[in-house]
Amino acid sequence: MSEAALSPAVESRPIQATGLVTRIAWRNLWRNKRRTWLTAGGIAFATLLVTFAMTMQRGAYGMMIESATGLIEGHIQVSHFRYPDDTKLEQTLTKAAELMHAVDDLQGLEAAPRAGAFALVSAEERSFGGFVWGVDFDREVEMFTFFNGIQEGRLPQSDDEIVIGRTMARNVGVAVGDELVMLGSGKQGGIAAMAQTVVGIYESGQAELDRTLLFTRLTAVQNVFELGDELHVVSIRIPDHREVYEERERIQGALGQTYLVRTWDEYMPEVVQAIEIDRIGGYLMYGAILILVSFSVINTFLMIVFERTREFGMLLAVGMRAPLIMRQVLTEALFMWVVGVAVGWGLASVFVGYLMVEGVPVAGFEEIAGTFYISDRIYPAVDAASILTAPVVLLIGTQLAGLIATLRIRSIAPVEALRGE
Amino acid sequence: MSNTVVKCEKVEKTYQKDSVPVYALRGVDFEVNAGDFVSLSGPSGSGKSTLLNVIGGLDRPDSGEVTVDGVALSGLSESELTELRLRKMGFVFQAYNLIPVLSAQENVEFILQLQGVPQAERRERAEAALESLGLADMSHRQPGELSGGQQQRVAIARSIVSNPVLLLADEPTANLDSGTTEDLLGLLRRLNEQENMTIVTATHDPIVMSYTKRQVHLRDGAIERDALAA
Repeated sequence: MSEAALSPAVESRPIQATGLVTRIAWRNLWRNKRRTWLTAGGIAFATLLVTFAMTMQRGAYGMMIESATGLIEGHIQVSHFRYPDDTKLEQTLTKAAELMHAVDDLQGLEAAPRAGAFALVSAEERSFGGFVWGVDFDREVEMFTFFNGIQEGRLPQSDDEIVIGRTMARNVGVAVGDELVMLGSGKQGGIAAMAQTVVGIYESGQAELDRTLLFTRLTAVQNVFELGDELHVVSIRIPDHREVYEERERIQGALGQTYLVRTWDEYMPEVVQAIEIDRIGGYLMYGAILILVSFSVINTFLMIVFERTREFGMLLAVGMRAPLIMRQVLTEALFMWVVGVAVGWGLASVFVGYLMVEGVPVAGFEEIAGTFYISDRIYPAVDAASILTAPVVLLIGTQLAGLIATLRIRSIAPVEALRGE
Repeated sequence: MSNTVVKCEKVEKTYQKDSVPVYALRGVDFEVNAGDFVSLSGPSGSGKSTLLNVIGGLDRPDSGEVTVDGVALSGLSESELTELRLRKMGFVFQAYNLIPVLSAQENVEFILQLQGVPQAERRERAEAALESLGLADMSHRQPGELSGGQQQRVAIARSIVSNPVLLLADEPTANLDSGTTEDLLGLLRRLNEQENMTIVTATHDPIVMSYTKRQVHLRDGAIERDALAA
């Protein structure tokens, strides 16, 4: 049809239908209040459930990461490039004092220098392999929870004192006050031998550590193993583990490319793996919830379209085009989403907000938490993904639901729809 | 310029009912001129509603041609037919068919809004239409708060507010009592006489026919009688 054939009074005026469509859609939403609240309630419940679960999940991951890094490993480690794959005495960080000075200059970080070596650990008739770490106990106690696990005795105060794990003590048959001899190779190839008094016995809760690791003062290891002013690892803690990559960049930038700077997920892949497995399980659950809710929305909108077929026929008859009617129904779906998400977010903010203060106690975790001074409660952690995932997925779901339902409008013949009266 | 508003040429329409063809229109030739007030009457199944729907572009004939205000409907897509209805026709239905969530005023403005008429002009014209139909006091009421007669008046206001070339009414008084029917028919006659509105109405009600200027009687899908009122 040529435009010229239409009334010149109206043909050039663009249709400003947004206000019209919005007004009708909003009022239509409340034509059947019970159905609207049931459907919006489903959206609200899904939003609440997924937001709550995701914030708890993130809180739990944060707790896992903090527990894992806070024991002894740290969020970031600086080492020689070859040290992670080839833990040899020779792979050292030279000019340790200078290095520590540079790290200490970085605001907000805590750093602990370490040097370590393999040694044969003996007492009287028994010998076992072990790894002797030389550490700065003042810094370690400040930064990590590991030495809270000293079950007997105390921390070393001089270079001839050492703490060992409960399993190692049992294996070599020593107790606090007994002497241990350690034999290894120095960096220059000479024999490294040290005789030290056991002043403390720890239990970390991890059998592998308790069986193999011994801790003495940093200077003792540096002297005996001919390391001088050299280290193997600088372990660093940062205020917020979520900023670990930014902090790594900052550290790498300050130290230069001479050093390997790794984040916790690189040297503790088992933690990453555990989080990923849990995350996948969570996503499957969230997906199921969101799909179910989307189906309920499809059902609602199919009913709406069936119920209003006559009305749509009338609208088509008086000159409202099918795409505009579809837009009106999709706007209703959008409003349904807005109402549901607003209620869901409101409830979630109250619920999650309360738990962010009070936390959720973890059953059976109280004892170990008490030992290592870590929290026995999970606190939900809010981030953009935990807040936005459910609303965004539900927005797509409700709009798809509306679209599927409204496709029928395109095939409505006005005369048949009106005859339905 | 011709004053023919509607022209039907050899219009045929057949429905299938239980696999049996039902001839709703059998080669109907029919014209409506500007200013006509025509009633299409006849028994059930005579084809009066089908003819009205075909003229309104709500239904398509199997053959033949329908022209409205010089536009041949057979060449138009569904979307173009919708546009044509919006711009050239007004509809009054038996069941009023107002939008239940809009007030009387908003229902009347609705067509103008679809046409893109600016808000101020829209409001002015809708108020004028409602006032002319005696509904000025009820402009803010929703359809559910109006009687059947009042709703049908609003429907008429909606159909005439855009000054259509043609007003089509399908059994407009079927749901109304006799008093309200007379009232509404007087209104339609006034629109026809004072505004020169061209009106075609399908009806089986002799009272409606008595108000029209021209009475077209159909039987078995064909025009049996086409006469001016005495």
